[in-house]
Parts: sequence; structure tokens; C-alpha cells
Amino acid sequence: MKNYILSRIIKSIIALFVVLSIVIVMLFTLIPRVNIFKNDTSIQRMKGDEKTSYMYNKWDELGYLDFITFNEMCYASSDDVKACVSGDTKEAADILQEYENNGYIIEQFSDGSYYGYYEYNPLEILGNFYSHFIQIDHPNKIEDPDNPDLERKYYIGSDQNGVPAVMCSGCEYKYQIYFDGSFPFIHQNIISLDFGTSYPTKLGIDTMNVIADGQGNAKMEEQTFPTGSTQNSPLLQHSCRYKPTSTLDRMDTTKFTDNYANCDTQYDSPSMISTSLTFGLISLFIAYLIAIPAGIYMARKKGKLADKIGIVYINFLSAVPSLAFIFFVKQIGQGFGLPDKFPHYGFGDIRSYILPIIILALLSTSSLMMWTRRYMIDQSNSDYVKFARAKGLSEGEIFNRHILKNAIIPIVNQIPVSIVMTISGSVITETVFAIPGMGKMLPDSINMLNNNMVITLTFIFTGLSVFAVLVGDLLMTVIDPRIKLTEKGE
Amino acid sequence: MTTSDNKFTFVKLDDKASEHIAAPKYSYWNSVFKKFFSSKVAIFLLIVLAAMVAMSLIHPFISGYSPLDAPNINNPSTWYNPPSAQLWFGTDNVGNSLFDAIWVGTRNSLLIALTATAISTVIGVIVGMFWGYSKRMDAIMLNVYNVVANIPYLLLVIVLMYVLGRGIWQMIFSLSCTSWLSTAYFIRVQVMIIRDREYNLASECLGTPRTKVIFHNIFPYLISVIMTSLARDIPSFISYEVFLTYVGNGLSEKDASLGRMIQKYSAYMTSSPYLFWIPVAFSAIISVSIYVVGQTLADASDPRTHMV
Repeated sequence: MKNYILSRIIKSIIALFVVLSIVIVMLFTLIPRVNIFKNDTSIQRMKGDEKTSYMYNKWDELGYLDFITFNEMCYASSDDVKACVSGDTKEAADILQEYENNGYIIEQFSDGSYYGYYEYNPLEILGNFYSHFIQIDHPNKIEDPDNPDLERKYYIGSDQNGVPAVMCSGCEYKYQIYFDGSFPFIHQNIISLDFGTSYPTKLGIDTMNVIADGQGNAKMEEQTFPTGSTQNSPLLQHSCRYKPTSTLDRMDTTKFTDNYANCDTQYDSPSMISTSLTFGLISLFIAYLIAIPAGIYMARKKGKLADKIGIVYINFLSAVPSLAFIFFVKQIGQGFGLPDKFPHYGFGDIRSYILPIIILALLSTSSLMMWTRRYMIDQSNSDYVKFARAKGLSEGEIFNRHILKNAIIPIVNQIPVSIVMTISGSVITETVFAIPGMGKMLPDSINMLNNNMVITLTFIFTGLSVFAVLVGDLLMTVIDPRIKLTEKGE
Repeated sequence: MTTSDNKFTFVKLDDKASEHIAAPKYSYWNSVFKKFFSSKVAIFLLIVLAAMVAMSLIHPFISGYSPLDAPNINNPSTWYNPPSAQLWFGTDNVGNSLFDAIWVGTRNSLLIALTATAISTVIGVIVGMFWGYSKRMDAIMLNVYNVVANIPYLLLVIVLMYVLGRGIWQMIFSLSCTSWLSTAYFIRVQVMIIRDREYNLASECLGTPRTKVIFHNIFPYLISVIMTSLARDIPSFISYEVFLTYVGNGLSEKDASLGRMIQKYSAYMTSSPYLFWIPVAFSAIISVSIYVVGQTLADASDPRTHMV
């Protein structure tokens, strides 16, 4: 069994990275790289050399190519930098030739100065992506020439609330492991995944932070800083990162005693992940609450009117395009004065939540009802049911005590999958209601040609679903020990 | 011990009568049609469906509608006309008749759904048959399936559409790119169930050629399975087209489709609700008709339902 779990995990991880790699290569090679500037507002004001250099720098930053200006070439490769930089010398021509031989394409700005770029092939793109994919924080990470005496050590300290935390000096993050009141209560900053920054929307913010950080306005909170001063500030002290000495300002020194002053801001609205999670979990709960009793009832009344009505409902829901169904329910809901878009009342108002949750719940009831009914009916022909009937048990006892316990197993198998998948949100419902969640982010980032965001979402969606299926299978063996995932049952 | 023999008469020995099998005559396809046409709902929806398909094939040639043309754009009196006796579905924001537009849109939506279904069914059934038969192929294909089945389908379609660009054929490719794999898996399981049944083993023992076993013993069972998967796939592809185009990742402006119309007219949901709700209703009617007709046909084509 252990071997089986291990091989499943390895296979899952391989599957995840195969998918991620294919998506990365497709995004970088099949979409013309000029397209990424379509929604960039800052480039529209630029022209000439400024625009050219902006574009190449952006491509360099996003990992399409390696861009290098003539001066950089000289400093990087020339023995006689002075002669090289002055141009028109043999040294300069040699350097250009050298870069051209290395596969660089040499072009000229309109002022005559040279620049070169090297377009990465798909393997190099993947190599560059994975080389910085997993970031591990360690005490020797920070290199700050202005602060040579920086201590490099781990230590146990306490945070602003007096709670103990594993802290570090010399790392990127001050708090390595810390505890707080929000899920999952224990947090770490040691290992992080780097998907690059978001572009052109949410410019310069790490894509993971776009998804995981709060949204809306900065939320002020009374808090005590390491210097002892108590201020109303939106900073999240647990997220503080090292700030080079040269960029420290007076505002920072009033709050912090050390260089760890680059902190994230706290916002008043929940993050995309928790928004999707809230909607998903509530609607999932409602869906199970409706669908399982309904499915059981249909199985008991098989062939009678209630069963037929249920089948019509199931068929209707599985056939009608979900978009049409959502609009239909939405129209009815608006008749009761419910808002047609989430931002209309926003996060604070319960009315924003009712319609999307009802729709999400109804959409998942149909297949749940169908499978519950199917499993119940399949079980009701088995010998143990006939025996129970022969013993004289009532139909209610047979269904609730005997059949349900066996029929519920495959349904239970689906629960972890459904719970984990709520994180990725519902693409359709979130888009229709303009709910700022994970599901809406996918079409949004595609419309904005935000490639790094698409890669991040692909990783998260695929990772979650791989993980959820695995957990579902393992849980099934716990519930029903008769089920063996391996052939020999080892 | 004399019995009255006069109550009995001798009959001539009939060699042919002993050859006669006293079982009712059975024809597979006759039974399928008989079973199918016994459902009144299915007949009604089949007529609705046939009428809609015929209209969407013929009407675009008569109207010559193209989403890029707007001949009445300078004549405000033709804009936003509500449905009337002359203009059955009214006119849109540039004076085009919605009745003309909707048949072109229906045609394209059906084209996408039917082609994608045809591709994924043909590939899926062929691969699934081999997959169910060959143990070596099963080991390889299961691993491929486990990789692909773990990717959320909608994510894959959206990313593929994004990468390939917008258009009808790109959409057909994106939709059918991995969907054939789930059809193949579905068929594989069915083939595996039927393959080792006693009557097939008996057939093989009696020396029936393998192709005959496949086509006479297994294929009739698969027909109903294939029909079930068709009845599921076509509406879901229509749904995907509608949704993808609605969120802006689907077809471009130059292709009309139901999703495209829903997206375009959703701005007029409150001012001219008919513009929005007619395409929505069309997508729903077509999907439900195909689903119900397909499911009925699937039931009818299952040989087990033919036994009275």
C-alpha cells in the first residue's frame, strides 16, 4: 500500500509538471510575443527607441528572450571596456561579432547604438522557468553591500502579539514559521513557488500574491511595531521582507529596528482563493443536503411520479447550457430584489451571496441526485436486501440502514474532490456574477493576455484536481476496508 | 386393452417442420425503431429538432445574413423593433433581423457541436475498442488517461483556444482535443465487460471468427453506449461554445453563433430583453431536444430493452 501511494504521488507530480510544461511552451511559442502589449496602457504613450527598449526589456523580464544593450555587452565580455564603449573600434566590432556568433540578433536603435537579443528555444524557456520555480529561503540569501554586519542565524522570537515564532536574520523573510488566527493557523515563509509577476494587470505583483492576498481597500489596524511605537497601520508584520539599507526611509525606521521593513498590506476584502472557497463550500453543503435525500427518495419511489419528476429535473439540468440556466435563475432572483452582479452590494452584504450560491448548489445537484439514485437502485437488487426483506424489516429500515451504507461509498469518494475543487471556483458562475474569485480570474487573465497568471492558474487548478483525486481514492479505502487499490492488496 | 384408435389419425412426416424454430422473428433495427417511436415526447422533440436543423441549413442562404453586415445601420427606425408579425424576432441594435441572425448562429453552434462530437466519438470508439481488447495497450493508455483526466477540461479548452486563436475550427479542435479520451475510456470499460461474457466465449469456442464476434455480439451492445455518449456530448459542446464565447474566449466577431449572440445582446438585457432571451431559449431548446432524443434512442438501441 505504501508503495502504491508513493507511486501514485510520483505519477501525479509528473502529470502536473507535464501539463504545466506543455502549457508554458504553448503560451510562449504559439502566441506572437507582440500580442502581450495589446492591453498595456503605458506602451501606448511611447514611441521610437523608448518603445523598442521597453518592449525588449519586458520580453526579457517575462522570459521570452535575453536582451542586452551594447554597453552591457562591453561590460560583460570585453577586456578593454573603454575602447569597446567608445564604439567604432575593432574591440567593439569584435564584441558584436562574438555575440552574433552566440546566436544573438544584433540590431540598431535609431540613434545608431547597438543592441542584441537572443530568443530562447522551448527547452531554454522551460529551463529558465524551473530554475527559479522553487525558492528556498536561507540565512545567506540577502546580499546587501551597505549592511556587511548583518547577522546570519535562525532564532526563536515572538511576534507583535507575543506569540512565539521561528525567525531569521539574513533571510529574505523575517518570520520563517509563525502562528496566527487565520486558516491554516501555522504558516511558513521558507519555501515559496515563483511564477513571475503579473503583467499587464496588477503590474509587478507576484501572481501568487494576486490570488492569495486580500482585495479592496487597505485595512487599518492598531498594532505595535518592533520599535515599541503603536500605530494605525495596514502592514502585515508577518510578511515583512528584507529591504536594502539604501532604500530604508524615515517611515521605516520609526517602525522597525532592523532592515525587515518591506511588508505586505492588509486589505478589507477576502482574497480570490477565500472568496471562491466561501462560495464553493456553502453551495456544496447545500447541494449535498438537497441531492442525497432527493436521490434516496427517488430510488425508493422508483418508477412512481416523484421519480419521474426527479428524472425530468436531472435531464433538464444536464441538457440545458449552464449559462442559459444561470441567466434563467438570475432573472427569477432579480424579481425578488437580489442583485444581478456581486459588486453591486459587495462583500459585506448577504444579498450578494444568495443567488450565486443557489445557482452553484442547483448546478451540482443533478449529477449527485442521479448517482445517488443509481447506486441505491443497484444495491436494492442484491441478496442482502432480499434477505432483509425476508426477515420482515420495513422498507424504511432497509433503505436507511442497509442500502444507504453501501450506496454512500462512491458518493463519499467524491466529497474531498468536491471540497478541494471549490478553491478553483466556478468559472461560469463567477464570471456571470462578476465575483472576484479564482474562477473569474482565468477568462479575465486570458482576455488581458496575462501569461504568467494563466501559468499560475493552470498549476493551481491541475495541482488541486490531481491532489483531490488521490485523496478521494485513499479516503475510500478508509471508509470501506474491502476496497483495495492495489491488485494484491498489499 | 383396446383403446379407441379412431380418435387419432396419422399425419405425414414433415421434414421441414422439424427445422422450424419456434421463436418470434427478431430484427435488431426494427426493434430499435419500434421502441423509439413508442415514445411520444421523443417523436415531438425529433420533429422540433429536424425543423430547427432544416431551418438553420436553408434559411442562411435565403437571408444572406452576415454578422459583419449592417445594411440598416443609418436608419434608426429599424433599430430595436420588438417582435411583430413581420419581424418575428424583432431587430437588433443595428437594424438586423434577429430571425435571420439566429439561424446563422444556430447553424454555427450546431456545426461546432456536431463536428466536435463526431471527431471525439470516431476516435474514441476506435481507440476504445482496441484499448478494451489489448492488455498491453491498456497499461499504456491508462497512464495517459490518468494524466489527461486530471486536468480540468474547461481549463484545457480555454488555454487551447487562447493559444490557437479564435475561430470555428480552432474551437472544434480545442473541444475535441482531449474529449475523445473520455469516450475511449467509456467504451473500453464496456468492451471489457462484454468481452468475457459466456456467450462470447461460447461463440469463440464454436469457431466464430473474431470480426464476427465484434460486429454481431459486441457492437449491438456498444451502439446504445455510443448513443448515450452522443446524447451527452452534443449538448455539453453547445454549452461550452456558448460559455466560452460569452466570456470572450470563444468565437470572434466575424462568426455568428448562439454564444456570440448571447454575449453581444447581454448588454440589452433590460432595454430589449427579447434580443437576449431568444438566443438563450434557442440554445436551451436545441440542447434539451438533442439530449432527450439521444437518450431515447440510446434506450431503444439497447438490445436488453427489446425483450418484452
